Amino acid sequence: MASVAIQNVCKFYAGMAAVRDADLTVEQGEFVVLLGPSGCGKTTTLRMVAGFVQPSRGRILIGGEDVTRVAPRARNIGMVFQNYALFPNMSVAGNIAFGLRQKGASRAGTRARVAELLELIQMPGRGESLITTLSGGQQQRVALARALAVSPRVLLMDEPLGALDARLREAMQLELAAMQRRLGITTILVTHDQQEAMVLADRIVVMADGRIQQTGTPDQLYQHPSNRFVAEFVGFNNILAGRVGAVNAGRAQIVLRGGHRVWVPTRRQPQPGDSVKLAIRPQHVEISERQAGSGSSLSGQVEERRFLGNRVNYSVRLPLDEVVLAECPAERPPLAPGTTVSVSWPTERAHLFDTAGRALHGE
Amino acid sequence: MVSKAELMEGEFSRVLDAPERRSRFRRGRMVTRWDWFLWPAVLVSLVLLVLPQAMFVWLSFHADLGLGQVSDSLTARNYLHVLSDPFYRQSFWMTLYLSVAATGSGLALGFPAAYALARIGGWTASFMISLILTTSLVTVVVKLMGLNIILGSTGMVNRILLALALTSTPVQMLNNRLGVLIGLVQYTLPMTIVLLFGVMQTIPVTLEEAAATLGASHAGTFRQVIVPNAKAGLVSAGLIAFNMSMGAFTSAVLLGGGRVRTIPVLIQQMIIQNTDYAEGATLSTVLVALVFIINLAVGAAFVATGAKERQDVA
Repeated sequence: MASVAIQNVCKFYAGMAAVRDADLTVEQGEFVVLLGPSGCGKTTTLRMVAGFVQPSRGRILIGGEDVTRVAPRARNIGMVFQNYALFPNMSVAGNIAFGLRQKGASRAGTRARVAELLELIQMPGRGESLITTLSGGQQQRVALARALAVSPRVLLMDEPLGALDARLREAMQLELAAMQRRLGITTILVTHDQQEAMVLADRIVVMADGRIQQTGTPDQLYQHPSNRFVAEFVGFNNILAGRVGAVNAGRAQIVLRGGHRVWVPTRRQPQPGDSVKLAIRPQHVEISERQAGSGSSLSGQVEERRFLGNRVNYSVRLPLDEVVLAECPAERPPLAPGTTVSVSWPTERAHLFDTAGRALHGE
Repeated sequence: MVSKAELMEGEFSRVLDAPERRSRFRRGRMVTRWDWFLWPAVLVSLVLLVLPQAMFVWLSFHADLGLGQVSDSLTARNYLHVLSDPFYRQSFWMTLYLSVAATGSGLALGFPAAYALARIGGWTASFMISLILTTSLVTVVVKLMGLNIILGSTGMVNRILLALALTSTPVQMLNNRLGVLIGLVQYTLPMTIVLLFGVMQTIPVTLEEAAATLGASHAGTFRQVIVPNAKAGLVSAGLIAFNMSMGAFTSAVLLGGGRVRTIPVLIQQMIIQNTDYAEGATLSTVLVALVFIINLAVGAAFVATGAKERQDVA
């Protein structure tokens, strides 16, 4: 086991930056997930740690040793690939034993280690199976066992669960998290799935446009997204434009585009007149049939009702054509499309961002 | 064995009532008969390929009476003669030897080339593959005449060898077996590269990366991952190059200068120059049978080693 340090790493392809100024330390035994949309630089970053991509600038350290110029095969890492990359010409046991054979391990030692790993991935006695006869989930496990067989210093995983169907993926997430904790192996995993990152990670690194946007525990990210991109990525799906009206201690009054005024908690003091964006999660938006005389509340019209079993999603169109998504408990009496509704949310649930996307609410 | 789909079909038809089942059946008969499109090609190859071959086999079992005439009675004498004649036997060995050598050299040259092209990929690889294909379509005669010019004792190749002091006297590369071998390699190499390229493309680069993270060297990865996964392609490309070489006539004639008498050369001499149809037909039947048996044997050996290896690895 070892720590991994990515120090001021940049990667340019033909002048285009794939990764810019990446700075990240993964502690020994930590499970870090690189999260972001495709093309954000997360896979390039992982491949630089593996040694398949040479950084244009910066250093990569594994266990304190500078490996920036070290070939992949000398880095002592384990890697699980998106499509598993199992050797089709070998059996399950042959795949798991591959790394041990390269190191010249004894036959008996290899056999014992393979049996041990088959036990670990809950496939005892399947060593002689051919790769082509395995299901996707089994291939995934074998790929993991093959990577772990050589007792690598670091485990790298590139969208390892991406090819599995939803239910199997959820089961494998829990299994993977438990296994990582039990083995205590330093792990970096790449995914575009926010849910998966939350389940697996000790720490999540959100990336976009080749830059690290925010690093933090799933809790920190969820509660305090440091910019608008991260906020949208962790489920703040409603973004409303507005202007700062008045400011007083810890709160700002925001004038929404329709002229409606709401109070929002803020720690950084915005200037009155500043343009801002307001972000709210759908599950915090409350809607109710509009009563005559509730003149001060924000109102809109139900556009669509989508039943999702345990909850119901409503799209509500505001007067200035902004659409707000509200997630309500399924038990509520349904609101028909066309109904005029009041839209509100608990004051402390709204997050404020400036025009550059920086959070105005946290520290 | 009954497939899962068929089982389900059975269940459905039990559930469906009779009229619906009838309509399904009628739809089933409307299915296009794709096999009809095969028949024109089958007929053409029957007339142009199978019929002449059958004719040859028939001729080979009759005594030759000269001037293209054969006897009415059946005889195996031609075969006894062809198989016992030391000159013919030597010619068969030489044809075999040249073909195996050409196949081996072709694979040794073509495998790395195909690997490189597959890894380069994209437009560059497509462009280069199309270059290889188009040059391979240039008629053999033209290409061999080009070889004649550069392989001669005062040709470019010899001048370079002399200049580099790799040899003190010009190397004889024309009108001998070496010349024919070079011609065969030139003839089969494009096909070998194109076939192997297709195979190499199916081996994902992540397999190599996986091997690297597991500590394998480049050579180790090549030996343990690339070659085993390309084995089926190597065998089929090799067999095709071998078959092409066994039947190659032009390179043997133009670069062998009449001195390298492979079986195809002898067949042509027998039939065109000696008008000994029976003997020529016998030679060609033996050649086809030999090539056929070798292909079957190699195929069988490949399947057998594949099964054994899988057991070994397990």
